[in-house]
Amino acid sequence: MPPAVTDLEYTPPDGGWGWVVVFASFISIGFAFSFPKSLTIYFKEIQEHFGISYSEIAWVSSIMMATTYAGGPVSSVLVNRYGSRPVVMIGGLMVGAAMITSSFANSVMHLFICVGVIGGFGLAFNLQPSLTITAKYFSSKRPIANGLAMAGSPVLLSVLAPLNQFLFDNFGWRGSFLILGGVLLHCCVAGSLMRPIKIKPSVKKPTPPSVTEVNPTHQSVTEVDVNNPTAETVNGKGCVEKVNRFIDLSIFKHRGLLIYLVGNIVMLFGVFAPIVFLVPYAEQHGIDEHDAALLLSVLALADTVACTGTGFIASTGWIRPNIQYFYSFAVSCCGVCLLTGSLLTGYVGLVVYTVMFGLTYGIVSALKFEVLMDLVGPHKFSSTVGLVTVIECIPVLLGPPIFGLLVDIFEDYKCIHFTSGGMMLTSGVFLFIMNYYNYRQLENKEKGSRRELQINSADKIAAREEANDKEAAVNMRSEDVTYSA
Amino acid sequence: MAYIIHCILLLLYCDTIHSEATSSPESNPVITIRKALSRGESHVKVVEESAVLSLQTIELLCNLTDIPNNPPSVTGYWTKDGQEIENSKETVNRNDDQYIFKRTIPVTDVGNYSCVFRENDAQVTFVLDVPVMKDKRDKPIVTYIGDTVVLKCNLKHIPKTWNWYKANNTEKDLINVTASPLKYKIMIHKNVTKLSVLNLTEADAGMYICSGEFDIRAIESQLELRVLSFLEPLKPFLVIVVEVIVLVTLILLCEKCKKRPDHDTATTENDVYTEQTSKLTHSDSNGMETATRQRKLEQ
Repeated sequence: MPPAVTDLEYTPPDGGWGWVVVFASFISIGFAFSFPKSLTIYFKEIQEHFGISYSEIAWVSSIMMATTYAGGPVSSVLVNRYGSRPVVMIGGLMVGAAMITSSFANSVMHLFICVGVIGGFGLAFNLQPSLTITAKYFSSKRPIANGLAMAGSPVLLSVLAPLNQFLFDNFGWRGSFLILGGVLLHCCVAGSLMRPIKIKPSVKKPTPPSVTEVNPTHQSVTEVDVNNPTAETVNGKGCVEKVNRFIDLSIFKHRGLLIYLVGNIVMLFGVFAPIVFLVPYAEQHGIDEHDAALLLSVLALADTVACTGTGFIASTGWIRPNIQYFYSFAVSCCGVCLLTGSLLTGYVGLVVYTVMFGLTYGIVSALKFEVLMDLVGPHKFSSTVGLVTVIECIPVLLGPPIFGLLVDIFEDYKCIHFTSGGMMLTSGVFLFIMNYYNYRQLENKEKGSRRELQINSADKIAAREEANDKEAAVNMRSEDVTYSA
Repeated sequence: MAYIIHCILLLLYCDTIHSEATSSPESNPVITIRKALSRGESHVKVVEESAVLSLQTIELLCNLTDIPNNPPSVTGYWTKDGQEIENSKETVNRNDDQYIFKRTIPVTDVGNYSCVFRENDAQVTFVLDVPVMKDKRDKPIVTYIGDTVVLKCNLKHIPKTWNWYKANNTEKDLINVTASPLKYKIMIHKNVTKLSVLNLTEADAGMYICSGEFDIRAIESQLELRVLSFLEPLKPFLVIVVEVIVLVTLILLCEKCKKRPDHDTATTENDVYTEQTSKLTHSDSNGMETATRQRKLEQ
C-alpha cells in the first residue's frame, strides 16, 4: 500500500523540533527494547538469594518483554485520547516506581509482578507513543527518523550493560534496582520533549456512518467540501462503534497489514534466539567468556550502524516507494546470513558472522515500524501498532524457550541457526511474494475505481445540471405566483 | 616399524587409616588408566590428570612395549615438575616384551611426575593434583542490613565434610549452626554447600571461609561480604531523581515561554488541510498515490 500520508490534516514539519522528538524516541525505544535484556546480569545473584532455578528467574525478562508488547492496545487507546506526551511520562513513572518497589522484594512473585508486569506496561507506554509521534512529525524524512529512533535499542544496551555491571559490583542487586529506577525516570524527560503537534483534527461528522455506506456518491460529494478527515471516529452507537472510537479494529480487513502480520510472526519466532544464544554458542566453540561478551558489543555496534544507515537509504527516491520489497529483502538476507553463518568456524569466523547478522538485524529493526507506517498511514498507525504488537508478543514470548528446548534435545547450537535462518528466509520470501500480489490487486482495484469515478462524476454533473434547471423552473413559477398574487 | 608404548597407572591402597564411612561410592580406591603412545607421538608429551582425594600411596607405572630389536633392558628416569629426581635412573628389564617402570609416590608429594625413556625419548606425564574450588568469586558480595545472603561454595569432587568459618583478623571462628539457628543455616549437598546468613548487621561483614575437608588436606575458598545501609544507594538515587525533575521542569517551562508569543499564530496551521497534496516530495511519480487519495475520499 502506498504511503497514505494524505491522512494527516497538516504538513508534518520534517525537521526542526522533530529532531528533538527523534532523540526523545531514541531514549524511550532504547529503554523499551534493551532494558529487559540488560537485567540478566543480576539473575545469578537473585537466583541464589531466593533459592530458585535459572529458568524461573529468566521469566522476569520474558514477562517484561511480553508485557511491553501486550500493553500495546492500552497504550494506543491512551495515545489516541491524550496524545503521546502524558502517556510516555506516565510510562516513565510506572517503570521507575516498579524498579524502586522491586528493590524491596521478598519473593520472586514480587519481582514478577513489579518488574515484569508493571515495568513491562511502563515500557509499553514508552514504546508505542514514541513510534506514533515520530510518524506525526515526519513524512518525507520519516525513514531517517525511524532508523535513528530504533538505533536507541543497541546503543542503550551497550550503555546499560557496563552500567549494570558497575552498579552490581558496588551496590548489590537491591541497590542497583533502586538506582535503575532513577535511571528509568529519564523516560519522563524524554516524554517531556515530545511536544504535541498543535493541530488537532477537527472531528465534524455531518452524517452518521450508516448513510455513508448507503449513499457513497452523495457522501463523496460532501466530503470534498467539508473537513472530514477521520474515518475512525464514529457516532458511538452500539458496542463495536464504541470500541472503534478508541481503537480502530477495521484495520484487520487491510490485506497489506495481514500479510505484514503473518510475515512478522514467523520472523519474530526466529530472530531473538540467535542473539540470546550467541554467547553460549561462542563458548561451545571454545571461546572464553570475555571474548564472547565482546561479540555482543560487536553485534550492538553493527546494529547501530545498520539502523542509522538504513534510515538514510530507505528515504531515497528509489527505495521509498518499494519499501515493502526492501523489507522483505532484508528479512531474507538475515535468514541467509543465519543459515550460512553457522558454517563459519574460529573466532574470526564468529566475528564475521556476528557483524553480518548485526547489520541485517539492524536493517530489519529499522524498517519494521516504518513499513507498518507505510502500510496504514500515520493517522491509523497509533491504533494499528498496539494491535500488531499484542499479536507479536506471542512469538516474542515463546521463541526463546522453544529454541532452548531444541538446544536441549539436539545439544548443538547449530540447529538454532538452521531453524531461525529457515524461518526468516521463509518469512522474507512470503512477504516479497504476497506484497507483489497485493500491489497487483490494488492496481487492478485502482483502475476499476477510476473508471467508476469517471462515470459517476459524469452522472453527477448531469444530475446537478438537471437539478439546477428544475430549481430555476421552480423559482420562475414561484415568482410568477407572487407576481400574480 | 611401529612401537607403541603402553603406560599403565595403578593406584593402590596401602593402608586405610580412616574407615571412610562418610565417603561416597565415587571414591573408588583402585583406578586404572591406560595410555597408548603411538610412534608418531613419541616426542609428544602425553598428559594424564588425576585428582588425589584420599590418603593413599600412589604407584605410578609406565609400561613400554614394542621396542624394535627387543633389547634386554632399557633405562629410564623420573622427573618431578620438570626436574629429574635424584637416583631415579633405573634399568628396566624386559618382561614378556614389556618394560614396566614403577615408582611409588608418597601422597603428600603431589605434582607433575614424568617417566622418561632414554631409548626413544618417550615421555608420559602424570599430573597429580588436589581438588580445586570451582566458580571462585573475586568480587565482594554486597548486601544490606536486615537482608539475607546466601554464600555458595562448589567443588569438583565430593569432600568428606564441609565447614564454614568466619575470619576474625588472622583467626577463623567456626560457624556453629546449632548455637545460633536463627542466624545461620548451612546446606550441604554432595559437592555444593550454601551458608545462609539471616538478619544481617554491619558486624556480619567480613571474610567467610568455606572449607572442604579431604583426607589429604582441606581445600578452602574465601568470600568477602559487605553489608551496607540502605542510605548508600539512596544518595545517588536521590541525585538522579532531582536531576530528572530539574530537566523536566526546565523543558516544560521553556516550552511555555515559547508558546506565549506564538499563541496567536497557532490556529492558522489548521487551514493546512487542503494543501497536503502539494507537500509530498517523495515518490510523487508513484501513480498509485493519486488513486489512494481518491479512494480515501470515497470512504
